Amino acid sequence: MFDKILIANRGEIALRILRACKELGIATVAVHSTADADAMHVRLADESVCIGPPPSKDSYLNVPALLAACEITGADAVHPGYGFLSENARFAEILAEHNLHFIGPKAEHIRLMGDKIEAKKTAKKLGIPVVPGSDGAVGADQDAMAIARQIGFPVLVKAAAGGGGRGMKVAHAEGELALALTTAASEAKAAFGDASVYLEKYLEKPRHIEIQVLGDGRGAAIHLGERDCSLQRRHQKIWEEGPSPVINAASRAKIGLTVAKAMREMKYLGVGTVEFLYENGEFYFIEMNTRIQVEHPVTEMITDIDLVLEQIRIAAGGDLPVTQDEVSIGGHAIECRVNAENPVSFRPSPGKILQYHPPGGLGVRIDSAVYQGYVIPPYYDSLVGKLIVHGKTRAECLMRLRRALDEMVVDGIETTLPLFRALVREPAIIDGDYHIHWLEQYLAGQQSG
Amino acid sequence: MARQPENKPAEKFSSEDSTLIRELALLLDETSLSEIEIERAGLRVRVARNITVAATVPAGIQPAASAPVTAAPAASAATDLASHPGVVPSPMVGTAYWAPEPGAKPFIEVGTKVSVGQTLLIIEAMKTMNQIPSPRAGTVTQILVEDGQPVEFGEPLVIIE
Repeated sequence: MFDKILIANRGEIALRILRACKELGIATVAVHSTADADAMHVRLADESVCIGPPPSKDSYLNVPALLAACEITGADAVHPGYGFLSENARFAEILAEHNLHFIGPKAEHIRLMGDKIEAKKTAKKLGIPVVPGSDGAVGADQDAMAIARQIGFPVLVKAAAGGGGRGMKVAHAEGELALALTTAASEAKAAFGDASVYLEKYLEKPRHIEIQVLGDGRGAAIHLGERDCSLQRRHQKIWEEGPSPVINAASRAKIGLTVAKAMREMKYLGVGTVEFLYENGEFYFIEMNTRIQVEHPVTEMITDIDLVLEQIRIAAGGDLPVTQDEVSIGGHAIECRVNAENPVSFRPSPGKILQYHPPGGLGVRIDSAVYQGYVIPPYYDSLVGKLIVHGKTRAECLMRLRRALDEMVVDGIETTLPLFRALVREPAIIDGDYHIHWLEQYLAGQQSG
Repeated sequence: MARQPENKPAEKFSSEDSTLIRELALLLDETSLSEIEIERAGLRVRVARNITVAATVPAGIQPAASAPVTAAPAASAATDLASHPGVVPSPMVGTAYWAPEPGAKPFIEVGTKVSVGQTLLIIEAMKTMNQIPSPRAGTVTQILVEDGQPVEFGEPLVIIE
């Protein structure tokens, strides 16, 4: 087991990782930018090292500074959290070169799944159903048009180096394809440094359903069921729940087993999430995330497995905590990502939290690093915290969520709490009858209505 | 020192007793204990480390009282230094060294007059040595890091006035 873990992240996930380390008796090193000197996890860590000024590229993405921090503290492992360097294969390799453990998947798998074209090819080879599309990057317009006609419009132009919902453009009809291609390519080049794009069939009203997996790196792997993350604004998830309102046990077992088998063949190490679009009873692979995800608590609440703790244990050579047969999905969980944004315009609202009262009670969990008096810095994401609620049934979970949202106080900044209070009362949400475009349609309706 | 039990006649101080006391004193030195007391067959011996603080204050209270007093000035001293107009903060994470190599003469000492760009210290990270230049001309009034001390970004290294 590791002696000392350096947490290469910030905010709520850094606190989450710190908690797992403490429960395992592992010493903690919090690295932070000057803007995060007062962060909760920095206060709670055994040691802290300031690694740079506020900009991420000079701090949380600053590999030399992270390595130097490992060196001066004697940390023997690094947990990268999510975002930042968590899916940077080169970072994982550099750590290995310095005899440091990277708590995450093997670099080759990070690299493989980081290239969306290669990821899709791999998924197809491993028997995972994929979205119909171009077999690789598309070149000249004529090439693309022929493929698009074959797939059938509408088509989606996607960046090969993209992910997390970024670098995608829709072409509803033939006339829109050329512009969609050039725009997507230039955006991809700017955002990811790679202009390669590929085409996929555009599904009209799919749900986003993802499967959580866990592998020991030696050929054993299990799935931990699904999360439904269809409620998204600009491709950013804001509400996730598990189980999905539309997936039954048979469906779950079928896709779960397919995914777990693929992970076993890959000898996948650590946690990962295989993401699908789901329409008319069919699953279509879109990408795999080779890291711990923001919405991991949803799975933790329904399976009673501490995913971050298992990440650490498995990275240190441990076995999977349970067999597939021992995995049981209990009850229902919903997570709301509360952001420091205006609930209507979504304009960021950084600043000082004057009043903070998190909700409590049975089945209520808050994963947040904020506290009363904390100043949310303007340099990073706007997540205030995640409210996760568990109930024996979806109905009970919704009632509990409504109660918890009404109880939660975050004053001094604007937050999206009012949006969640409205959503939890919305008939379509209560019925579980929504898809990946639902939220944006709802928000557009609210604006005009 | 040996104390006589009240209801027994005083016994002569024997060589055995002094051997015992010597042994206890040695034990005190070897361990981090501050006092040892033993009692057997008519003799109780207590050996205590010579503490310069007033011995009459109960041990439990003294350390607690002194800790916040020493911590507060240190903490405010550190923040004072960070905002000192002449402070040179560390531009990186690593280990600070006073000299270009072990055994060599340090780049600066208190009182050294430096010019802009003159090397003050070396900060080493992952086997690469980085020379830290002075941002201004002036006189070194304080050197705030020990030779070989790990430093973080922004940590006050030197005061140049």
